[in-house]
Amino acid sequence: MTVEQTEARPEAKRWLCEMCGFIYDPEEGDPDSGIPPGTPFEDIPDDWMCPICGAEKSDFRALEPGEFPEM
Amino acid sequence: MITGYGHFVQLAESLQWDETAIDLTADIEAWPKLEQEESDQVLGLLAGFCIGETSVATHLTSFHGAATTDDRMDQVFQAQARDEARHARFFDRVVREVVGVPGANMTERVDVLRDRVSPDLVELFEERLPAVAADVAEDSDNLTAAVGLYHMILEGVVLTAGQHALLETLKGCSVAMPGTHKGMELVLRDERWHIGFGSRVIQSADIVDDQMEELLTQGVKAASAWGDLISTDDIGKVEHLHQRRLKSVGIKFW
Repeated sequence: MTVEQTEARPEAKRWLCEMCGFIYDPEEGDPDSGIPPGTPFEDIPDDWMCPICGAEKSDFRALEPGEFPEM
Repeated sequence: MITGYGHFVQLAESLQWDETAIDLTADIEAWPKLEQEESDQVLGLLAGFCIGETSVATHLTSFHGAATTDDRMDQVFQAQARDEARHARFFDRVVREVVGVPGANMTERVDVLRDRVSPDLVELFEERLPAVAADVAEDSDNLTAAVGLYHMILEGVVLTAGQHALLETLKGCSVAMPGTHKGMELVLRDERWHIGFGSRVIQSADIVDDQMEELLTQGVKAASAWGDLISTDDIGKVEHLHQRRLKSVGIKFW
């Protein structure tokens, strides 16, 4: 019996706006701003702003696996 | 999605500041040196903030009593009320110490300043907001609609537009007013989490499309409440942010 090994794909991190609590989820993207689902935060253009409060990308921090501030 | 209420409680605690600690010495010296047009613009915006922040500080107290389903939501409303009172004191301090607006207290100075802002702005903060706050005090089921007006429109559109306009105006003045600028930056920082909190309340309430449409429409109109004090470009920017924000809170929370 063979076991097909596949390279595990690291889960793209979610990012938290430290100004207003908005969580960017790469699975959802921000389609209304031209950011399609599946876009990692790092690939978002630098002039993108938080859709809730208008903060800049530099005001976000990465959430660690297992970190769920929305709970 | 937006963080939970516990996160906002911690965030509020970490962002406290003292409005009396801001040094206004340079601003006091700068004020008489400003061009007439500059001082008119700055004072018009400050007047709007004095009226707005005084009203929100007064009427937000109805909200936290209505947050009966979640103690943490109630704590966040209380933290926000503390911020709003501080904002009102800050702007009052600026108009009193820097501009020299007369009056024995904040209420008297607001009375002096009221003629400097548009009737639309006065109507929003001194008629609509008190009416909505009274509705909430009477029936806590009115809380979501109240948050829609307060957080999404008054803070998310009207005050946000004014904040950016005042910061831009101060940057462009012929003489620097660093204390007023610093305080305005801190106010803006507070307002960002207030808007995030309100967005979380709206998102959790799962309001239907026609209610969302009404919020969108009201916000678009409210942006013009500052009249000539805000440019049409800046009105457009804040309207766009308002639309993006409402679409974001329309996402179902899992």
